Amino acid sequence: MPLKAEGKGGLESSVHREDSTDIALFVRTSQEDMLDWDRQRIVDALLRETLIDRDTAERISIEVEEIIQSGKVKTVTGPLIREMVNAKLLEMGLEEARRMHTRLGVPLYDVDQLLVQHNKENANVPHGPEATNLTLAEGIKKEYALLHVFSPDVADGHLRGDIHMHDLGFIDRPYCSGQSLEYIKKFGLNLPHALSKAKPARHADVLLAHMIKFAAALQSHFAGAIGWDAVNLFYAPYLEELSDREVKQLAQMLIYEFSQQAVARGGQAIFSDINIYWEVPKHFEAVPAIGPGGEYTGKTYAEYEKQAQRFAWALFEVYKEGDATGKPFFFPKPLVHITEKFFRTEGHLEFLHHICDVAGDKGNTYFVFDRGETAKISECCRLSFKLEATDFEDAKEPWRMRYSALQNITVNLPRLAYLAKGDDTRLFTLLTERIQLAVKGHEQKKKFIERLMALGEGGPLSLLAMKLDGQEYLRLHRCSYLIGMVGLNEMVKVHVGDELHQSEAAMKFGLKVIAHMNIVCKKMAESTGMKFVLEQTPAESTAYRFAKLDMAHFRADAEPVVQGNRDRGEVYYTNSTLFHVGAPVNPIARVEREGLFHPLIEAGSITHLWLGEAHPDKKALADFVINVFRHTQNDQLAFSPEFTACLDCGRTTRGLHDTCSHCGSTHVDGITRITGYFTKVSSWNKGKLGELAERYRNQGQFAN
Amino acid sequence: MRPNVARLPVPAIKGVLETSFVDWPERLCAVLFLGGCNFRCPYCHNNSLVLHPDGLASLGVEELLHRLAPLKKWLGGICVTGGEPTLDPHLPEFLVLLKEGGWSVKLDTNGSRPEVLAQLLAQGLLDMVAMDVKTVLVQEKYDRCAGRPVDLGRIHRSIELLGASGIAHEFRMTVVPGYHGETDVAAWAANLAGRARLTLQNFNPKSTLDPAVVPAAGFPPDVFGRLCRLLPMSGEAGKK
Repeated sequence: MPLKAEGKGGLESSVHREDSTDIALFVRTSQEDMLDWDRQRIVDALLRETLIDRDTAERISIEVEEIIQSGKVKTVTGPLIREMVNAKLLEMGLEEARRMHTRLGVPLYDVDQLLVQHNKENANVPHGPEATNLTLAEGIKKEYALLHVFSPDVADGHLRGDIHMHDLGFIDRPYCSGQSLEYIKKFGLNLPHALSKAKPARHADVLLAHMIKFAAALQSHFAGAIGWDAVNLFYAPYLEELSDREVKQLAQMLIYEFSQQAVARGGQAIFSDINIYWEVPKHFEAVPAIGPGGEYTGKTYAEYEKQAQRFAWALFEVYKEGDATGKPFFFPKPLVHITEKFFRTEGHLEFLHHICDVAGDKGNTYFVFDRGETAKISECCRLSFKLEATDFEDAKEPWRMRYSALQNITVNLPRLAYLAKGDDTRLFTLLTERIQLAVKGHEQKKKFIERLMALGEGGPLSLLAMKLDGQEYLRLHRCSYLIGMVGLNEMVKVHVGDELHQSEAAMKFGLKVIAHMNIVCKKMAESTGMKFVLEQTPAESTAYRFAKLDMAHFRADAEPVVQGNRDRGEVYYTNSTLFHVGAPVNPIARVEREGLFHPLIEAGSITHLWLGEAHPDKKALADFVINVFRHTQNDQLAFSPEFTACLDCGRTTRGLHDTCSHCGSTHVDGITRITGYFTKVSSWNKGKLGELAERYRNQGQFAN
Repeated sequence: MRPNVARLPVPAIKGVLETSFVDWPERLCAVLFLGGCNFRCPYCHNNSLVLHPDGLASLGVEELLHRLAPLKKWLGGICVTGGEPTLDPHLPEFLVLLKEGGWSVKLDTNGSRPEVLAQLLAQGLLDMVAMDVKTVLVQEKYDRCAGRPVDLGRIHRSIELLGASGIAHEFRMTVVPGYHGETDVAAWAANLAGRARLTLQNFNPKSTLDPAVVPAAGFPPDVFGRLCRLLPMSGEAGKK
């Protein structure tokens, strides 16, 4: 008998059929029905779901029936019977059959907790019925993924905390995506199974409506960020007729729409990013512009520079103002590309001061450095897609430019140092093994997504399978596969004795580790044909999870190196390749030294500078940014101010305070950047709270 | 070039901030904190620098210059602050050393030592000066803010010196509830108007000199904003 019938796998068996067992009295089934007991249902389920023979199935059903009849229960539930059957399978040593017959679900107690308590794994998720729906669904999909999509070695690696597979609760979605407005400009809002279809927009505000709805639709098909390339440029052909006031109005609508759409994934805002250029990027200069009605305007994008700049300026005016209470907007995150051409473009210095004003005041601005001929689309907390030759070819028809990272898998670096016990060879061998395990996980996720995609527009990923330009929206052959890292700093501390900022030896070893990871990724890419690239994992919850697991399983090793407050359980590892957040390293040294890792991390790196309460001078910031571009290899930079929002008077002030400086209320919430985005501190997980307390905020250093 | 170690002056440098975005208008700068002060402003938030400078170890000048050298291409200069830096007998020679090293220099001062200021200006050692003018130039008000009797003639002289200096300068005032009201700010501004950039800083209640006589909080932001709007040239410092 074949182990598994061809073509039968996760999908079909995941389709929930009614629970199979009933009893004489009554059985509550998951189909909201009370059925009479029928032993045959156990047999049917075992034969349908597992590979055991009919006689064994009959025997099990009889034994379970005996137990139930000997009890005094009046009503039993389907899940209970299923677990009794599973116990029998275990007794008989039929482990594989038990696995296949497993029921995924959630204990009553957990559901009760969940509905009442706030889940803080992701600070962007609010607390509410949609959010708990998400958590429940995520819980079951995560179990499904670990049991059914990934092989036991990969799943165990995740559960042990050797690696972390991100967003397992979104197993049936790719990780994140970056795209072009040109797609909806050209094709309108024409989504599979939509109740109505819209032709290409004729007006800027309609284009905005299409963009928001498309972003929402995409968000329900991706686990992570939805990024947009060169937004101000692609809007430009719609702006010629608009007054400055109308352009500002449009900018305001765009930012408010994205920041207030609490619609996606459990009532979260859409995790959105907009890439902005002051210049017309070289690869779009000669591209024919698409304008109202999806028609070519007869001009190239180079001719829309002024309109694009007008929109970029207005967007930052809106960011500067903040929301109605002066709070910074959390989304969409504006990513401004600083390039050689930027410095050759008229008005760049005024624009730089303008965006630095926002960076210092509200913190929104991301500075993305594209040196030399590099061009990128950036999104998420730091992820970027570097454009290659084929992409520049696509740039001639920019609607083709859509990118996705299918999955992100992060390696727990400090644990490798615990296991290597100072032995270099052992450490690098273990590191290679971990990456290979991650690669295996990537292959399994890819296979799973391919199966869903193969169902085409009739399948669950119909949106990603739509072929308006002849290719599927999700271009699987172009996807990248992210390998991340957490806790390089602590790994190096264990292995070399110093943290990254403390010695040259530590730094050198750190660079060696990341270079090794980079090389292994490249080799694996060659042998598999899949594009494995390193990314600095944002690790909003992973940094906490790894530290917590290591404190449980490697306590003696982990205790001296985990960061945070051990007594309060607010422990964490330092993100990716970053320096210890509390290290008194001045901002110049931090961008320079952290930047040395960036060229090795192809899919995106960032340096965060925490400025606390201080209100930096915009021109001083601009000088700093120019120097970062000229004198370092740093990839991306963000400044992070802190705020206190008063829940009583509703006003926002600078700095993290215990009381509102307007009205004196203690009913306040802090606001600052958690990883890539701004959120309320009250929604943070414990690890992040531990980190917040330790962040170095560029204070003066005094002896003693 | 490494400075000649033998002739290094030894100012009491008690602290350093290698990269500041807030201490020099429109420039990125390093900040050096010198210990000791002749004022006792009860709301001062550099408590230990003023009261117990000897309890803080001094940083070696050579080591410091060595530390700042690689940052030079980034920085627009060095801000020398305090305490009150003009009290340090080694300040002039130290600034000479900085100028020889090619650094631009900004001095923060309370203006109580016009003779030192005059000397530094005459020697061309300063590129910018920020002077704290504590309140309106009325004796009892000034004494209360400075925490001891102040010779207002000296303050006047420093203001005149800066006005005639031809270098960039600003007058600053830290405003504290109970010490500074709207009329004080308006009079202060009217007095100094036309001379230079004027800036207000809101009181920061952390680690003050005399917590017993200062309020628990600065002005609410909207009140502070209103005070700032009394200045002829708008200036609202974000500095702590």
